[in-house]
Amino acid sequence: MTRRMVTATPPEPGPVLELVDVGHQYPGSPPVRALDGVNLTVTAGEWVAIVGPSGSGKSTLLNLMGALSTPTSGVVRIDGHDVTRLSDGELSALRGRALGFIFQSFHLLQGLTALDNVATALLYRGEPAGERRERAARALGRVGLGQRLGHRPSHLSGGECQRVAIARALVGEPALILADEPTGNLDSRTGAEIMNLLGELHAAGATLALITHDEDIARAASRRLHVRDGRIVAEGVAV
Amino acid sequence: MRSVSGGSTSVGDGLRSVLRTRDVLALGLLGLVGGGGRRGRAVLTAIGISIGIAAIVAVVGISASSKANVLAVLDRLGTNYLTLAPGQSLTGGSAQLPAQAPGRLSLLDQVQAVATTAQLDVTVRRSDQLPATDTRGTAVLAADDGLLSTLGGEFAAGHWLDQGTTGYPTVVLGTTAARHQGVDLGRGDQLVWLGDQWFAVVGVLKAMPLAPELDNAAMISAQVAAQKFGYEGSPTTVYLRTDPRHVNAVYEVAASTADPRSPEEVEVTRPSDALEARAAADTSFTALLLGLGGVALLVGGVGIANIMVISVLERRGEIGVRRAIGASRRHIRVQFLVEALAQAGAGGLVGVALGAAITVGYDVSADWPVVLPAQGLAGGVLAALAVGGLAGLYPAGRAARLQPAEAVRQV
Repeated sequence: MTRRMVTATPPEPGPVLELVDVGHQYPGSPPVRALDGVNLTVTAGEWVAIVGPSGSGKSTLLNLMGALSTPTSGVVRIDGHDVTRLSDGELSALRGRALGFIFQSFHLLQGLTALDNVATALLYRGEPAGERRERAARALGRVGLGQRLGHRPSHLSGGECQRVAIARALVGEPALILADEPTGNLDSRTGAEIMNLLGELHAAGATLALITHDEDIARAASRRLHVRDGRIVAEGVAV
Repeated sequence: MRSVSGGSTSVGDGLRSVLRTRDVLALGLLGLVGGGGRRGRAVLTAIGISIGIAAIVAVVGISASSKANVLAVLDRLGTNYLTLAPGQSLTGGSAQLPAQAPGRLSLLDQVQAVATTAQLDVTVRRSDQLPATDTRGTAVLAADDGLLSTLGGEFAAGHWLDQGTTGYPTVVLGTTAARHQGVDLGRGDQLVWLGDQWFAVVGVLKAMPLAPELDNAAMISAQVAAQKFGYEGSPTTVYLRTDPRHVNAVYEVAASTADPRSPEEVEVTRPSDALEARAAADTSFTALLLGLGGVALLVGGVGIANIMVISVLERRGEIGVRRAIGASRRHIRVQFLVEALAQAGAGGLVGVALGAAITVGYDVSADWPVVLPAQGLAGGVLAALAVGGLAGLYPAGRAARLQPAEAVRQV
């Protein structure tokens, strides 16, 4: 389905993500305005880094980009779908099919093997278990963990856990992979390896959005957005 | 239609998460066995359910076995017995059976045997040293020689009344009377103080389920009673054994045969009916135990709900990830519900097995027929599932309501 969107406009890669004048406000007294007037378009094949200090609103931005929440104003369009028009079921399906998530703390299911953790990403598509496992094994092969399929997260290093999480994010071939501080819980060497891996995925055609507070990490991306006080303040494109 | 942006956001597009039934079951079991300390907690919680179900199944099983046993006993004893006793006279006083009643009843074709007892106005004690009031409820009856053969009674020890070799008049005790009076023929000849003299105990009966009034009685012969206590031959109870095919016919005519002049003063009962009715009505204890089992089940259910609420808090990250990879609120709710059902169901199965084992053990030790009612066993599992489902509703709802953005947030 995601490919259909891309191939529908072959000469000009279509937007996989569009934010139009997006604002987000958290209820309270007074209400907290976390985002204001954000415009952002991510096209297929791009690698975007969103950089900003903590409290800048980048986590809110990530949640909106990942359809984990809906904006209080403006339009978020993911893979062509306006998220505010979707029911919970449709929104969930959109997340599951169009997006892949990589979290700072990996969020692996402790009771499952690496293979089953990755296969779980296909669970809510109704695919048969055998097929899910096959695709999961291939995805784990892509991130260099082909020999670790039967290991549980507790028997894997931090870097390996994040590789499992990356495999889980890409196994469903999403239109956009969102990575939230993917190296935040890793030492610098392992972090560099993970960034290399993301670079390889991008080179192979994946669309990536990376959220980080670390300028050095962000430098790997081809396009960088700086967020401050709920607004995108600067956009730089890597040479 | 145009306003629905491109139509691509409609449900018709197939933008829908699907969770296969097999996968739902796998998720539920995973929740049961997965993740470290969760397994131990699940087992502990399920124990509550197991105890409740085991209690219920055992109560149902044992009471069913008890009833089956009563029916088996009745089958063995026979149901062709009738008992006649004086009822209330019309003037309000207590009536008397005519002395000729046994003779008249024995003339009925369908009556196979007749025997009588008469309550005597004397007391029996272990010894003359005990106060006269210390009779321990034992009645003194004048019994005729056909009593045991009519009722099919058996001796636990000794034999029926005879002339006696010791010079003392003889007495036979019912099983309860022997126990109350402290008589044990195994320890040699025994005497009891009956009326105003010593009697030698020559026999002790086994329990008489169809004539329980004989269990706590001391029986002497009619001749001795007439000789020593002025018994005039007016029986207080007449026992009939009838042709099994004509019990009802005899029942109809027994009163008028015994006392043609005032048949309404004769009370005719069928002791097997009373036994049967008692077995059927013996439910108060059962109800109490069932209630206790229900309470245990309830507590088990609250335990499951409690543990699952904690589990939902702990598994926020998991819920977040599942929401991120496509699980809808409904899928999360179903997952936790199925986990609760699996936990309670497993507890229920163990409970049913335990309850069945208790029933079999009890039945075997009581020498009863083993009866395990199928609906009791199935009901046990269903009750466990119902409790699990109810217990899971609240935590599952909480899990489903968790906002995805909130759930994946760094803790």
